[in-house]
Amino acid sequence: MPIVASFARWLETRDWAMDFAGSAYFYPIVLATHLTCIAIFGGMILITNLRLLGWVLRSQSISDVVRRLRPWKWGGLVLMVTCGVLLAGSEAGKYYGNPYFWTKLTLLALLIVHSLVFRRSVYQNTAELDRAAVIPSRAKLAAALSLILWISVVVAGRMIGYYEGPTSLAGPASAAEALGR
Amino acid sequence: MLIQANALTQAMNENDWLFPAAECVHIASFALAIGTIALADLSLLGVGLRRNVAAQITRSTSLWTLTGLVLIIFTGFMLFASDPDMYLRNSSFRFKITALVLAIVFNYTIHRKVALSEGSGMLTKLVAVISLALWISVVFGGLFIAFV
Repeated sequence: MPIVASFARWLETRDWAMDFAGSAYFYPIVLATHLTCIAIFGGMILITNLRLLGWVLRSQSISDVVRRLRPWKWGGLVLMVTCGVLLAGSEAGKYYGNPYFWTKLTLLALLIVHSLVFRRSVYQNTAELDRAAVIPSRAKLAAALSLILWISVVVAGRMIGYYEGPTSLAGPASAAEALGR
Repeated sequence: MLIQANALTQAMNENDWLFPAAECVHIASFALAIGTIALADLSLLGVGLRRNVAAQITRSTSLWTLTGLVLIIFTGFMLFASDPDMYLRNSSFRFKITALVLAIVFNYTIHRKVALSEGSGMLTKLVAVISLALWISVVFGGLFIAFV
């Protein structure tokens, strides 16, 4: 994406940006922002799913909840992914060999699949869901799967910090090193 | 209490998965507790769900918020018990707990009153901003424990 590339190039000419990126505060501030996004935007995802299950905010139509929170959730996703890329980029060597990191990315890919699978029947179909006397089970299934996947993402994400195996791109020097850690 | 804390301290340190498990529940509960409060705050600020539904959000989510807070505090205590001396000496931890107490008290007093009264205007918006700022401070304070 050329606009991202030229923005990145511009940032590299800014002292304040380069000082921040090189400082010890970079990683914790980006990570704390990432966690705050879990709280606020993860919260919106959670509440949307609880609404689809019919467990909360029943005074608000599913259409309202899904439609009105959608731009916020997209904005939150952009912020989260940006933080994630910055975190992974600053620790690229370490993340490359970390199985929890790859598990998390796989789960995120599964969430993309999830959004496509349930797009027509649920997320683009909220008017129909509101008209139904009882929330259709397909919508509840979408919500339940979304909850399971997102909670797994959070767990995998936290566990990234716990992995202590060989992580360098070069790999272990020998099988002994790989086994004897 | 000290004797119980010692047994918990042992459990948290000897068991390989207990600390990470407590942390994961702690973090996942942010979305539940802080997320529900934030949704009401955004509504008070006129964004997110419709402008005048803050009261309905607060009433509908209050049990979920409480559950989230109970989980956060319960797991938080477990994490604290793993090394009480370290945490008490950690400036970020002390900041976090201060912010947490303020956030909880604020949430169940002024914030609740304003959210349920369906008000609008500058004071209402200020209450929403303070609420968000307090909870974000708790999250930042918690994360920085490992970095100070």
